[in-house]
Amino acid sequence: MPGTFRFLDDIALADMAFDAEGDSLSALFDAATEALLESLADPTSVAQTWRHAIDMEEPDIPTLLFEWLGRLVYLKDAHGVVFHRVSLSLEQRPKQSSWHLHADVIGAPVNPATQELRSDVKGVTKHLYAVTQDGTTWKARVVLDV
Amino acid sequence: MKLQTDMQVHRINDYLWEIPPSEKPGMLVPARIYASAAILTAMDRGVFDQVTNVACLPGIHRHALCMPDGHWGYGFPIGGVAAFDPEDGVISPGGVGYDINCGMRLIRTDLSLSEVQPKLELLMTELFRRVPAGVGSRGFVNLTRRDFRDVMQQGAAWCIAKGYGWDEDLERIEERGRLQGADPSHVTDYAVERGINQLGTLGSGNHYLEVQVLSDKGLFDRTVAAAMGLTGRDQILIMVHCGSRGFGHQVASDYLKVFEKAMRRYGIAVKDQQLACAPFRSPEGQDYFAAMNCAANTAFANRQVITHQIREAFTAVFGESAHALGMHLVYDVAHNIAKVERYPDGEWLVHRKGATRAFGPGSPELPDCYRAIGQPVICGGSMETGSYLLVGTDRAMQETFGSTMHGSGRTMSRAQAKRTVRGDQLLRDMKQRGILVKAVSMSGLAEEAGFAYKNISDVVDSVDRAGITKKVAELKPIGNIKG
Repeated sequence: MPGTFRFLDDIALADMAFDAEGDSLSALFDAATEALLESLADPTSVAQTWRHAIDMEEPDIPTLLFEWLGRLVYLKDAHGVVFHRVSLSLEQRPKQSSWHLHADVIGAPVNPATQELRSDVKGVTKHLYAVTQDGTTWKARVVLDV
Repeated sequence: MKLQTDMQVHRINDYLWEIPPSEKPGMLVPARIYASAAILTAMDRGVFDQVTNVACLPGIHRHALCMPDGHWGYGFPIGGVAAFDPEDGVISPGGVGYDINCGMRLIRTDLSLSEVQPKLELLMTELFRRVPAGVGSRGFVNLTRRDFRDVMQQGAAWCIAKGYGWDEDLERIEERGRLQGADPSHVTDYAVERGINQLGTLGSGNHYLEVQVLSDKGLFDRTVAAAMGLTGRDQILIMVHCGSRGFGHQVASDYLKVFEKAMRRYGIAVKDQQLACAPFRSPEGQDYFAAMNCAANTAFANRQVITHQIREAFTAVFGESAHALGMHLVYDVAHNIAKVERYPDGEWLVHRKGATRAFGPGSPELPDCYRAIGQPVICGGSMETGSYLLVGTDRAMQETFGSTMHGSGRTMSRAQAKRTVRGDQLLRDMKQRGILVKAVSMSGLAEEAGFAYKNISDVVDSVDRAGITKKVAELKPIGNIKG
């Protein structure tokens, strides 16, 4: 099942917050990623002319999700792009006591004439940040600074 | 009076309230909030929780303060002010904010509304073209890494040397637009790569460039206003609100991670993860301070390059040089910063997070042109309601470490604002009311609707009556650029 997300009204009045969840870690990461992409621009309005592969490794899932979302914000500024879609995979590496993420990020340089641009997210914050597991469901709460 | 807190809040006077240290374990000093009773009543619970959290930080001096535009923030509340002993106190990115040296700049002109109105559409189009705004926007200044290092260290002075401004601009910028102690070696490559293409860009969110008008009715103190070059008579001014963009945010994020580890090493416990801090004199504290100063200088440079573009746009539209149009800087002041400042009772590391420096008359830090009247304080309101120019007072020096409010403060979430009004509808409504808006994002525009903010006049009245700043002028918008 694909993950889901919803933006939250009553948290971070001046910024943006969302809850994401999925029945697997991959579904959670997909949902949280989609929430961030939607915050920046309507992904359907973004062409697929720019591609970037990312590999990241972190000691635990909360850190990996936090750093991953932060990396997308970095890419947006450093490369001047917004995103159409992201394909990602997760792998636990017990020998290294770590989690590995591989992502193929697809998007296009920012172009206000053709894209529906939204908020210029500046970063992911630790405020109320949490990744939890409830039975088979993974959940995350993320507050974005805009 | 029903407040959104269970803590005891004692009235000091009609515009000052105090929460004693007995209200929360670990509070080292009382917390004080400047606000009218009505504004205090409307303040969200986060303000009370967070200002008392700040009062628990090691080395805090006298009081933890919050201004009347205060609302929940990350770590410190927005509107938060706190001073720490530089020798045994802490420095906290949560007391500066993610957008390091987010600040305000005001430029005067000799133009009047009647001269600008017929060309307003052309002027706003020209400004919109020359000052990039919104998601992923890039500035026109192409910087090498070496150039960007110079910007980090020299701030606005780098811009003047490159021709993006006038020599006289520097004296009308807080700290002459250059904080000492900026060391690029403490800035990560990630931060550099995020910032190197953003010089001269507005960003989005609540950042803006606004063309404003000052009527005779908007003048509260003609003498002080005249010293700042403000005449009334439907005079045109330009206000800019922006900061260090992604660069500053990356510096803050990088050091929050450093400080989370450092706190364990130094045995510091905080009430909120976003209050992560380190002793100011520790290696981590000094590294952050050096990187923060880089971001602050970059923000001064950002507003300076934008000023150059504004002058160019006015010259293109009105066919006269910016000098001939009288486009002098009134002032540029930070409202997200930490600085070591000297006061009669000592030297303190003052954090201002959504709060403005407001030095009173006679302060040696002020330029000759403002030393007799006090420092100009620029407070931005919503794009629909207007903004204020105030001036610092002796009382601010005595009570608030020379600090005051910075804006109006949000009362409604971005999501709720977007559900309440559509951006294109707001654009049309504002045009009918004489405010021409150029926006990159219609949803971003809706998020910034006037009803999402407190009434800035009420907020300004609180600091005016509390005596920590005095009203000089009220400025009304006629044109606005949003990201």
